[in-house]
Amino acid sequence: MSKKIVILFFLFFSVLSYKVIASDADQVNTDSEDFETTTIEDEIYDPFEPVNRAIFSFNNVADRIVLEPIAKGYKKLPSPLQSGISNFLSNLRAPLVVVNQLLQGQGENAVQSSGRFIVNSTVGVFGLFDVAEKIGLEEKEEDYGQTLATWGVGDGFYIVLPLFGPSNLRDTSGMVLTMMTDPINAYAVSEGEAWLVPMRTAVNAVDTRSQIIDEVNALRDNSVDYYAAVRSSYYQNRKAAINNVDDSELTPLPLISIEFE
Amino acid sequence: MKFYLFIFIFIIFISKNLYSDETSEWLKREIDIILEAYKNKNLSNENRFLLIEKTINNNFAGTGIAKFVAGEAWKKSDKSTKKIYIDNFKRHLALNIASMMQGYSDQTYELTKSKYDSKNQVTLIDMEIFSDTGSVVVTWRVKESKDRFYVIDLIVADISLVVTKRSEFNSMLKKVDNNLSKFNEVLFDQNLESYQKITE
Repeated sequence: MSKKIVILFFLFFSVLSYKVIASDADQVNTDSEDFETTTIEDEIYDPFEPVNRAIFSFNNVADRIVLEPIAKGYKKLPSPLQSGISNFLSNLRAPLVVVNQLLQGQGENAVQSSGRFIVNSTVGVFGLFDVAEKIGLEEKEEDYGQTLATWGVGDGFYIVLPLFGPSNLRDTSGMVLTMMTDPINAYAVSEGEAWLVPMRTAVNAVDTRSQIIDEVNALRDNSVDYYAAVRSSYYQNRKAAINNVDDSELTPLPLISIEFE
Repeated sequence: MKFYLFIFIFIIFISKNLYSDETSEWLKREIDIILEAYKNKNLSNENRFLLIEKTINNNFAGTGIAKFVAGEAWKKSDKSTKKIYIDNFKRHLALNIASMMQGYSDQTYELTKSKYDSKNQVTLIDMEIFSDTGSVVVTWRVKESKDRFYVIDLIVADISLVVTKRSEFNSMLKKVDNNLSKFNEVLFDQNLESYQKITE
């Protein structure tokens, strides 16, 4: 009798395992019956959409003609050189990251970022090498836009800035604050080397663009409304940055019904 | 008797592990089909895309996503319009994924983390794609239904493909008064353009 029970269990689990393994071989049958739509709606306030779209088109052309080809050329540089430039630029941003972490009450992160800046500026040869990452000091980005959001300032309306791209009223204010308070820029200007400021911005843009060539092109080539796709992407990305979402589990989950697949 | 008990416990243990690893194994298998298609130089661009499209359509919750991204327009439409829309959407989804994966085809990847979100009954699988200068993480959201798995979303840099598509489609649908039939024409044209690009 006991043998029979064991055999029965054995068969049951064998069938279960088989079902799990074989499941992907099933065919999908679709039946487009009506189901209630979900209620998640866009919260993006874009009252100047026609103007934004015009600027977006201009930016898109500028990207195709100037930024993308330069970014593709940059990608052909030896990878240690690319990493070095990227690390160097990131290290220059560190002092303001610390300021914003303090403003947001993130004391522990501020200490960590300060440690990163000190280690990378010295051992890491002016930030060219990210030594800090190797000793467990993780990079975290914070800016004035995120600080203002943490203080309760709303997004305001959506803006597409010429050459700078998607933003909103709050983040644009944050960007202006960054330009005004960045110690590296201030030092360059005080030394009569103001040209370094736009140069830094341009290299930053090329470096960032080079890291998302495939993603941007996939989005641009396959969108029925590229403007709306970029706008939504911008808001999702900023929302995650403001909430310091490190885990995709926290990204809003679309309510997808699979009952009629 | 002890022997049978041991066998029984052993089988339970194996089954449980099989079950938890199954989602990642299944996903890896399907991703490899797509990436191998890009590496196979004997395939014409058209056949390569058709193979990828078949893989995507077999493994994504295409109809559910189509309904979600259509929003309000779905409710208003008749059955035949919805059917055409679903077909158009599935091709659109395949074109989007294929285009994105094309960029990753010459890079190595690893499925680094698999986590089950019990609240939403969704498995999140992180795919880390390595390049010479760093890595990018793509998170796959997978749901199980009727003894098989479906991808319900892809997240790159905190950006959900499905949420982005919904926003994009809603913007375009507003221009055609939420008329799914008219939108089908727009989507069909876009698919044609994207198809030409990916197969040229």
